[in-house]
Amino acid sequence: MIQDAVVDLFIENATKAGAHVVRVTNVEELNSSLAGMLDRVNSVYSPGLTETERTLDIPAECRTDDYKDAAACVEEVHGAIAETGSLICSSRGGRAVQAGLLPRRHIAIVSAENIFADLDRFLGDLGDSPPTNVTLETGPSRTADIELTLTIGVHGPEHLGIIVL
Amino acid sequence: MGARSESIPFRENAAQAVRNAALRAAMRNATGTFSVKRSHAIASVPIEEWRELASQVRLHVLDNLEEYVNRFERNAVKAGATVHRAKDAAAAREIVWCLLKDHGARKVVKSKSMITEEIHLNDYLERQGLTVVETDLGEYIIQIAREHPSHIIVPAIHKSRRQVGNLFAEKLGCERSEDPVVLAKIARAKLREEFLSADAGISGANFAVAGSGSLVLFTNEGNGRMCTTLPELHVAVLSIEKVIPSLADLPKFIRLLPRSATGQILSAYVSIISGTRKAGEATGARHLHIVLLDNGRSDIVSGDCREMLKCIRCGACLNACPVYQTVGGHAYGSTYPGPMGIVLTVLLEGMERAHTLLDGTTLCGACGDVCPVKVPLPRLLRRLREQRVEIGFTAAAERLGMVGFGLAARSPAFFELAQKLARLAWKPARITGIGSTLDRMPMPATTPFRKRIS
Repeated sequence: MIQDAVVDLFIENATKAGAHVVRVTNVEELNSSLAGMLDRVNSVYSPGLTETERTLDIPAECRTDDYKDAAACVEEVHGAIAETGSLICSSRGGRAVQAGLLPRRHIAIVSAENIFADLDRFLGDLGDSPPTNVTLETGPSRTADIELTLTIGVHGPEHLGIIVL
Repeated sequence: MGARSESIPFRENAAQAVRNAALRAAMRNATGTFSVKRSHAIASVPIEEWRELASQVRLHVLDNLEEYVNRFERNAVKAGATVHRAKDAAAAREIVWCLLKDHGARKVVKSKSMITEEIHLNDYLERQGLTVVETDLGEYIIQIAREHPSHIIVPAIHKSRRQVGNLFAEKLGCERSEDPVVLAKIARAKLREEFLSADAGISGANFAVAGSGSLVLFTNEGNGRMCTTLPELHVAVLSIEKVIPSLADLPKFIRLLPRSATGQILSAYVSIISGTRKAGEATGARHLHIVLLDNGRSDIVSGDCREMLKCIRCGACLNACPVYQTVGGHAYGSTYPGPMGIVLTVLLEGMERAHTLLDGTTLCGACGDVCPVKVPLPRLLRRLREQRVEIGFTAAAERLGMVGFGLAARSPAFFELAQKLARLAWKPARITGIGSTLDRMPMPATTPFRKRIS
């Protein structure tokens, strides 16, 4: 029950930050949401490091092993933080955290049980030996460096899609 | 460097800045927007409680600075980084240059860092023949314009879209546009090539975590992440007071920094970098060198303006300051502008060079009210003004005037005499034009206020 409220808060805050968020309950729904987000995207990087990533239905001819040239990166992230609407991207398990940064689209899958209520609950338990890289990602890449006009996607992704599983 | 000892011509710079209507409009728009966004961002959170907590952590660090810096160094080394200590700017520049040389680096990408502005790193590296590319859009704009940042968060705040459009067309040879979205796209394409071909990345750090040896970087564009993860070599330059005790303290600052800086709940990216890439990992630089810069901090921390070192460089005091809002960042002629810039510049560069900046405050207290870590800026500004008088860096006329006022204020008879003299002297003074500022001052009343109420 409490976790439901946490998930709702995460979805609300991630949406406010500019992410496109959907919630799914099974692998079929996951794959159909993914297909919608990947419409007309023809080079997808997905590392296949987790069980969820291995069940993703991405056609072989659309896949690429080089995230630098990919149009989209689809991956399961370590978790999320409801308070700020952030994804937690971690280098643990051999993940290339920068893979979610270079393509124009980043589609992140997060398991509902891995969503932390607030920053303290995640960072407070990270301890003194964190993974080499932990990045909190909140909304798409942005800048307001020219006349404070908000511009999305300056170096990182223009589009951030989140699928809560 | 001989000109260093000369004082900054702040009055002259400011006088020129206020005559620049375009600059004033840009500053009004920017500082106004940021102030409003900040107010919204803190409206429904317990901001006073957060400020107090963060202030306490920063004070605790300053009380035990050496210990925390040593702990940070130990843990960063344990995580795979190499840590270098630099006493001053020259030493830091030398260390960075030697590291780049040893790795055979020719091209360096940089993420926005005020500390590398403080030590004038880019000019130095370019003189050694390196190509240095700033990758934050604002920094990139001012780099190709060959200017300096005018705001610590948005460096090109003084430039209009028209100016940026002209600049890009001229320097990058692209089609002219005034659309920020198009301009950002041009920069994205241009800089992506640079990221992928750079030999090294240089960054600063917003925080250094003692307990885990981690560097923490806040960015919105993603360029900071690219500079620190794509090249084989990452060199981070930071000053020693950036240290915080542990990752458990980080939420306090994550909540305050973006809200105070840009009015965001959170910047798009917060990267926590702990050492180098380890066996079986696919992220992280192969070589991480951290340059810990003192540059006067050890002296400041034992002096009576030590609380300045609590500063987390959010820029809120710049946006809140009526002087900064009017004259913009360049008038200060220093790396750091605005209220925090005045105090820090006097402390870092000395009274002789920076005493003129102390004119750039109205003592209204707005800077102190917005500071997320409760740096007592109004008190520090007053303290430094007192010091300026004590050392004797004020104009003779001002000193004489103050002695006169002191006498008059201490004796009612003298005071009344002074009022009478002021009335008598008014017309001749205006006619002869002694002090054009008199034009803007009202004529002293025939019956003084004190007489009217007694």
